Amino acid sequence: MQPDPSRGRPDHDIAMWGAPGSGKTTLLAALYIALTKSGNGWKIVGSDPASSDYLVERTKDLLQGKVFPEASMALERYHWSLIGPPPRKTGFWNRKAKPGQPPRIGIGMIDAPGGLFGAGQRPAGGPSPQDGSGDPRRQELLDNLEHSRGIVFLFDPIREFTYGDAFDHMYPPLTRLAERMLAAGEFTDGKLPHHIAVCVTKFDDPRVLETAEARGLLTTDDDDPYRLPRVAGDDARELFHELCQVSATGSADMVLETLDQYFHPDRIRFFATSSIGFYVDRRARRFDWDDFQNMLPEEVDEDSRIRGQLHPINVVEPLLWLGQRLAAIRSAKGVS
Amino acid sequence: MPEPDRDLTRKAIAQALAGLADTGHLTVVEVAADGVTTFLLHRDGNGRPRGRSWPATWPDLAGEHGWDADPAAAREAVLRAARVHPSPADVILVAASADPRAERALDWLRAAHPAAQMLRGDAPTAALIREVMADDPLTRPYELVVLLADPGTGGLRLTGRRLFPIGSRPGARTRVALRCTEPGAHGTALAVVTWQGPEPRLLSLQSAPLAPGRYDVTAELVRPGRVRFTGLPALSPDHRDWERLVGSLPDRLPGRAGPAHLVCAVEICGADDQVAERLSRARQMISFASGELGDLLRVSLLAYAAHSFDPSAPEHPVRVAAWNADAGEALDALGELEEQGAVTRGYPYHPQAAQLEDALAAVAGRLGHTDPAPAVVLTVGGRPPHPPRTDRSRILPCPRRHDWRKLVAVLRQRPGTTLGAICDHAAGQAHPLWHELGATALAHLEAVDVRGLAADLGLTAPSPVHLPFPLLDETE
Ligand SMILES: Nc1nc2c(ncn2[C@@H]2O[C@H](COP(=O)(O)OP(=O)(O)OP(=O)(O)O)[C@@H](O)[C@H]2O)c(=O)[nH]1
Ligand SMILES: [Mg+2]
Repeated sequence: MQPDPSRGRPDHDIAMWGAPGSGKTTLLAALYIALTKSGNGWKIVGSDPASSDYLVERTKDLLQGKVFPEASMALERYHWSLIGPPPRKTGFWNRKAKPGQPPRIGIGMIDAPGGLFGAGQRPAGGPSPQDGSGDPRRQELLDNLEHSRGIVFLFDPIREFTYGDAFDHMYPPLTRLAERMLAAGEFTDGKLPHHIAVCVTKFDDPRVLETAEARGLLTTDDDDPYRLPRVAGDDARELFHELCQVSATGSADMVLETLDQYFHPDRIRFFATSSIGFYVDRRARRFDWDDFQNMLPEEVDEDSRIRGQLHPINVVEPLLWLGQRLAAIRSAKGVS
Repeated sequence: MPEPDRDLTRKAIAQALAGLADTGHLTVVEVAADGVTTFLLHRDGNGRPRGRSWPATWPDLAGEHGWDADPAAAREAVLRAARVHPSPADVILVAASADPRAERALDWLRAAHPAAQMLRGDAPTAALIREVMADDPLTRPYELVVLLADPGTGGLRLTGRRLFPIGSRPGARTRVALRCTEPGAHGTALAVVTWQGPEPRLLSLQSAPLAPGRYDVTAELVRPGRVRFTGLPALSPDHRDWERLVGSLPDRLPGRAGPAHLVCAVEICGADDQVAERLSRARQMISFASGELGDLLRVSLLAYAAHSFDPSAPEHPVRVAAWNADAGEALDALGELEEQGAVTRGYPYHPQAAQLEDALAAVAGRLGHTDPAPAVVLTVGGRPPHPPRTDRSRILPCPRRHDWRKLVAVLRQRPGTTLGAICDHAAGQAHPLWHELGATALAHLEAVDVRGLAADLGLTAPSPVHLPFPLLDETE
């Protein structure tokens, strides 16, 4: 996690965006933990001291304080590199394998206050940005979206049950973005050039898990010692669709249509994500259907807390997917 | 005329009266020295003989032209005087004079009523008839209205206790053992009814303020329609409406103050003043019930708090501070709880739920099914229970996986068990379990009517009920 300024800013920014309280900051914080746990050789490295500090702070809150981050008030821009394990280049004549260049995915995430675009507000205060049109932070988010080629879009099903405003938060920046891309001649196949990872957050919440179970969308990974339930890649879209059905306003269906309208089907992928994951009893070390809630009810005037260990689910995967796709495009471009 | 004539006449009238059907009428026409007197006898709704008379003197009957001048008119007048009832009635003619006018009148009457009995009368027939009526044997049974109490349920039933059977004559006596409870403002009513067909009919209603206790009462038939009671303070006529009187009858006798087991489960997590308030309510209830039931009251006291959801913080299990103790011991144990105050508070103890389900498991387990004493389970708290497993309530599941739904059902189905609750929240805001825990009575912590709650839960000494009728003492 040392800053690595010598390498400079990676050029594949991944922008993150979602309604207030949809879990953006928590997702970032869980990313480090998730990478460490995954044991797949990937690590995340800050590109500047601020970015490193940010990661350290958020991770510490989550791990030690077991508290969720506070609502973001300002747009914060951070740069990291996801660095993968070096490929082993084995030559026929070489007795000793020579490490090759490790894959490096640049992520420039901005932790923006979720209320920048939508009409709604995060219930527990936060900025009050009605339309936010004149807000410089909004311009910056748009710039960020424009310069990125990967988007992590967070869809908060719990918020959708109660407020049903995901569409309000998604539609305005998308149209703005489309205008800009069109002007820049980047609207080539009638779609935005971006890849988008749609993360259905708070998958650990009983309401979300129950919905997935009711639809038969759950699987477990044989390699997972805890046997945590998951939703496989292709089924995540269905879960998203299903959760839209119980939206408070019913406008959630339009989220799906809008996504299809603006993004190429090959460039959309859904993930059922939980930054904190399910609670697993320390002795039993197995997922227990009777007792899986990892989120503690908040006390009055206090932030939510986390009950047990974190078991992030689909936190690394969306970023790796975006990173790999963008890297592939870049190398394809480099070749041509 | 010699005495035998009088007896014969009396017997004949008595026989005719005895044979008189409920709707029939008997006409007795006395033809005497001073004129003709007609008596009409019938029975009233209670079978009691009733009589009326219409006297007519010879001058009345002679008309304006005199007896001899217009015999036809006189005959008409005599026959009319004897026809006091429109429907054909049994007729008895009593010849009480040798006066020529009487002889003629009698001839006319005999001709008009060929089936009539002819009797000789010497004494005044009116006195004779009064005598006969007073000595008339009962044509229907007389009963006293009494209450019977079901020994099991205390349910009350009105019934009749036979006083005099059909054929009873004045002078007959019967003894009845009665029991009186607290009399109402109007005293205890002694009602005599007659029976004919399916429904009894009120004959007489008298009442007296009878002190509670047992009475050996003798009922004497004075004459048809009149029963005198001895062995009671003086009775006075009671003019209350019968239906109102019967309507004032309670369904059942007050339950005898029996043994009761008051089980208090008090939530002792959260803010100190809230915990203190709950404990003080429990104290009030225990003290009050003990004042009412005395030694018959047994008390248990349980304290429960919030589950810990962090293994590093100790779990405070449900504490049984007293079990089946006397009120004094329980209040001492309560004092210790009061001193201790809230046991769990803040992180990592659950902020919104309490181990209510564990408390229910402890109560249900300890009460078991064998203890026959009626149990009153009084829960004092406010937080919802933990669910048996993760659910949408987002309250963490009970670490012991107790299922409050099953546990409260066990308590509700337990024989002789009453559930009452004092909840922090108004009924509208309380978790559904609190409604079940307060199935019999649910009070709001801020406004507890201790006496009313205790009464609802059967923890008060039974208040006297006023019975309008005497109870039949069946111990005799
Ligand atoms: N159950 C569950 N709740 C989560 C998770 N992540 C976040 N939350 C909840 O969502 C709240 C908001 O999370 P943040 O990460 O602050 O959301 P945000 O999108 O950064 O919010 P803003 O900065 O206000 O836009 C947290 O306080 C938690 O209560 C998760 O993985 N599972
Ligand atoms: Mg944030």
